[in-house]
Amino acid sequence: MNSPNPTTVAASPPETPPRRGAIRLPKDRHAIVDNFFRFQSLFGLVAVFVIAIAVSPSRNGENVFLSSGNLANIVRAVSEIGIIAVGMTFVILIGGIDLSVGAVLGLAAVGSATLMVDSGLGIVPTVLIVLFIGTAFGATQGAIVARLGIQSFIVTLAGLQAARGIARMWSGGLGIPIAYGDGPQEAPEAFSLLSGSINGVLPVPALIFLAIGVGALLVLRSTAFARHVYAIGGNEKAARLSGVPVRRVRVTVFAISGLLAALAGIIHAGQLNQGSPNDGAGYELDAIAAVVIGGTSLAGGSGSMGGTIAGALLLGILNNILALNNIDANVQLVVKGLVIVAAAALQRLRPRIA
Amino acid sequence: MRYTRRAITILTLTTLALTGCSVEKDGGDGGTDASAQCGSGKEFLIGMSQANNAEPYRQVMNDDVSTAAKAVSGFKVVVSDAAQDNSKQVADVENFLSQGINLLIISPNEAKPLTAVVKKAYDKGIPVIVLDRKVEGDAYTAFIGGDNVAIGKAAGEYYAKTLLPQGGKVVEISGLPGSTPAAERAQGFREGIASNPKIEIVATQTAEWLREKGQSVMDAMLKAQPDIDAVYAHNDPMAEGAYLAAKAAGKESAIKFTGIDALPVPSGGIKAVEQGRLQATFQYATGGREAIDLAKKILVDCSKDVPKSTTLGTTQITKDNAAQVYTELGGKQ
Repeated sequence: MNSPNPTTVAASPPETPPRRGAIRLPKDRHAIVDNFFRFQSLFGLVAVFVIAIAVSPSRNGENVFLSSGNLANIVRAVSEIGIIAVGMTFVILIGGIDLSVGAVLGLAAVGSATLMVDSGLGIVPTVLIVLFIGTAFGATQGAIVARLGIQSFIVTLAGLQAARGIARMWSGGLGIPIAYGDGPQEAPEAFSLLSGSINGVLPVPALIFLAIGVGALLVLRSTAFARHVYAIGGNEKAARLSGVPVRRVRVTVFAISGLLAALAGIIHAGQLNQGSPNDGAGYELDAIAAVVIGGTSLAGGSGSMGGTIAGALLLGILNNILALNNIDANVQLVVKGLVIVAAAALQRLRPRIA
Repeated sequence: MRYTRRAITILTLTTLALTGCSVEKDGGDGGTDASAQCGSGKEFLIGMSQANNAEPYRQVMNDDVSTAAKAVSGFKVVVSDAAQDNSKQVADVENFLSQGINLLIISPNEAKPLTAVVKKAYDKGIPVIVLDRKVEGDAYTAFIGGDNVAIGKAAGEYYAKTLLPQGGKVVEISGLPGSTPAAERAQGFREGIASNPKIEIVATQTAEWLREKGQSVMDAMLKAQPDIDAVYAHNDPMAEGAYLAAKAAGKESAIKFTGIDALPVPSGGIKAVEQGRLQATFQYATGGREAIDLAKKILVDCSKDVPKSTTLGTTQITKDNAAQVYTELGGKQ
């Protein structure tokens, strides 16, 4: 009789857990606050963009930051990390992590250079083989995670070492320069388009990043696969019991991450005219940073692809504006560290919906 | 299963569609306001793109550039750190171009990946001075660098005539395998000791330029080679590491140690020579001062005729001249 009213609790409908898809209209204060936190990286991106304009040096009366050349540089510089981060988002959403992406990028860069220069393959077979290698590498890691139940941190840490080792064996430890032309030991001229731009404005790597980002946004918004990803990240046991093919989704997610890391590696080789086994060292951390700034929880189950894309761009703008203002390189590192912590702290403050 | 396939198919197809599509190649953005006119009494912004600040040698190079530039009125230097990442260095140079630098000094991380962006700067009319490591082709204004073969040879001649005139057993601790300085410092040394057939290189091991590896490699060699007379290390940190190993074995006074680089910093080789741990070290100049001298010729004196390639000599540093050279090179006490 005096016990707290149990019926009220039972009566309140359970909140549909992970939110994605269309923006909910803010019905009350909670919803407004919630939406702020959901799109924190977008707000952050806009804020950083505005600040960058404000503090940009000017040259001949022109805002250096806003010059089309500079904006193009930013998106070009950020595109490789951005593409990797897209794959990383899927992995983190299921509560995993992929530390192998930087090394897979190096492996793919070496593969692109070797296949075209030494083996004389054309662009299409080279790209197909390299993407296959990346996907297979990722899928293998996913299979080990899913079948043996080893934490992805460990599996992909091992994968990082293995991919570097394979890349070094394949290349003999040295970078393989890519020369262009029709002769033997030369890559097809068209491959150098990866360092070009469309109409001299939009860099090709940025275009690829844009397309991959939009593609992933659609995948995450409108497929059953995406619902499975969120479900696994939210509560794996519940997901399994409700019929989600947990293992298969795991393997797929790591395969996507490997595929996109390999794609970034192909772009890397094309941009730098070289495939070096040491390429991409530390890129996994930049990609994780982009995902975290994008508001995706490292615990899995909540986050968005739009956030990641915004997070990658935010990091790119931050790098650029610090450099344009000649901030000391060491101070730049500290600032980036602070931004990552701030983004994560905002996530902790995000109100839980009762 | 179907949905899983669909997800991966969408991404794969976008990926393939994109890599297959063709676009026009970048023809540069036709910069018009390249560098400001040369002449005295003007302000000049110089961009210094460094490959990796984490190496002491490169930090000293930055310091040399900054210090020399302070002495020239109107020069302002900004330094960027690529942290050993070719992509980052390309972006660094592009940022410099956005800022409108008047001259670029670059010490490239690797030749091939930096060639295109250096050419881009050069084609915009910005003078480019390449330091220490080269880029490909000739789309730059000047190259300044040391000659590792000559330095190795100078070290070898010192062994042949001064350090071990009676001959002896030498172990060589080499730099990172596959790196050109390691190969050239090894080759030059062999040329240098050729005049004294009684000098024998009894073992060569790599310590990858690192002090701690120098120590562990020397540990092992002391056990394998009980009567070593001298250690020729390809850089000072490895020589210092080897010295520590010998000291632990109580053999530091029986063995002579030499290094290369001679950085004028407290942890560098010159101090080690002064304090008696190394017998000698051989300077591998950074080229920082020389780069600023050249920049002054180009920007202030309007000289069109600068040498395309400058090879820096080496200075042999022993206990006799260590303190003096340290001061000359602007070393901090």
